Formats: sequence, C-alpha cells, structure tokens
Amino acid sequence: MKYILMMNTMRAGQSIPNWTSKDLQAHIAFMMNLNKDLRDSGELVSAEGLSFPDQAKLVRAGKNGVPITDGVFPESKEFLAGFWIVDVETPERAYAIAARASAAPGSGGAPLNMPIEVRPVMSAPPPEMM
Amino acid sequence: MKYILLMSGTKAGVDHYHAWSQKDIQTHMAVLQSINDRLTESGEFVATQGLVGPKEAKVVRGEKNGIPVTDGVFPESKEFLLGYWIIDVATPERAYAIAGQISAAQGPGGVPTNMPIEVRQFATFEQSGSK
Repeated sequence: MKYILMMNTMRAGQSIPNWTSKDLQAHIAFMMNLNKDLRDSGELVSAEGLSFPDQAKLVRAGKNGVPITDGVFPESKEFLAGFWIVDVETPERAYAIAARASAAPGSGGAPLNMPIEVRPVMSAPPPEMM
Repeated sequence: MKYILLMSGTKAGVDHYHAWSQKDIQTHMAVLQSINDRLTESGEFVATQGLVGPKEAKVVRGEKNGIPVTDGVFPESKEFLLGYWIIDVATPERAYAIAGQISAAQGPGGVPTNMPIEVRQFATFEQSGSK
C-alpha cells in the first residue's frame, strides 16, 4: 500500500528558517538518516523537498491558452514543504514513519513535533472515472 | 528544472466533484490523460499521482509511549492535495503553461474547471533521490 506523508508546515512568504547552521545540519542529517533507513527497508518510493513559498505561483487557465499566474496567497495557506511516498504493509507503519519524521530536530535540537499528513495514494483511478 | 504541479481542494470541493455525472468525469479524465500522453512524448513527464479523499487523511504528530499520535479532524477550510504532476521542463514559463492546460480541463457541461494549480520548484539541496 502506497502512502504519501506530507509536511504542510510552511506559510506564505516563509524562507530559510533562522536557525544556526549547526541546527540546520542536524535537521538535514536526521532527514537523510530517515531516508536511508526507508531505502534500506525497501519502503522508500520517493522523497522530495520543495523550494520556499516565496517562489510559488498559482496558475489558472486563461482565455486563448495563455496561463494566468498569481503569486499572492492568503496568510493562512499551508504550503507543502516536502513529502515522502512510502510503500508499506499497513497504515500503522505509515503512521509510525510519519511520527518519526514529525520528531525531526529543530532549533536547539528540540523535536519539532510537526504535523505530517498521511494519505493513501491511488494506484489507478477508480473504474468509474475511466 | 523539476517542478511539481499541485491540485488541491477543500472537502466541499471534493463532494462537489463526486456529484459530477459519469460522462463529465470521463471527459475530464480523458483530457488529463491526453495531457499526460503529450508530456510523455515531449520527455517532460516525471510522475503523476492521485490521492485518496480527505476522509482517509490522518495527521500524525510525534508519538506517545512509542505510539504515533494520529488525528483525522481537519478544519472545513483546509485544502487537501488531490493529486500532482512532477515535470522536468526547461523554463518556469513552460511549467505555468502545462498548469494552465490542466486548469483548462473540462468539468460539468464541458466548461473548463479553471481550477487553481500551485506550481513549485523542487529544492535541489534537499533532493534525496527517487528510487
């Protein structure tokens, strides 16, 4: 069963956090270590980090095929900071991996306890949509 | 340059989509499929994925006694990711153009949904690699 684990932790205008480089390094090392463990267990499908929200654009179809782009977002909007796709036996295993990611260290090394949204991904569109 | 095109909506939006006629859903999916086909032909396609609805979403925060703390209650206004495309394109403008095509996919009665598509570049420094 494939699950996506989403870090919806960023807000509009947010850029690189004001952490010490030691804290940033510890955070990234934690994530690399998590990815390595998931790769070793054969559960990692993909893991990606996204650029910061200040580079995000919202695109809508325009008339005559020219896209309308907008870079203004409500302050309350959650931005995806990064995600993992894991292939696991049970939802509980997906939650356990999410809990580990949630505890990644932040400023001063304290666990961030950030919320990680967990959702199954569809292997194929449901038959009624084809 | 790798970009992700994010299609999001609220729970109300998802309920609205589920009320579309089967014909409208099929037309919509056919348009998206033809976009995927063209991206594959141009070599820009990396991945696409649809997600299961908000009802099955959980938010996990840390753990207590080794058990992950899960919660399935979200504010009504929360935007859920419905699906995404990952593309590898030469310019941001090309990413916006593809997002525009997805946004123009027909909804009920053949009218474009004009759904907003969020376009974000991958952070190269955190690319931990796909299998």
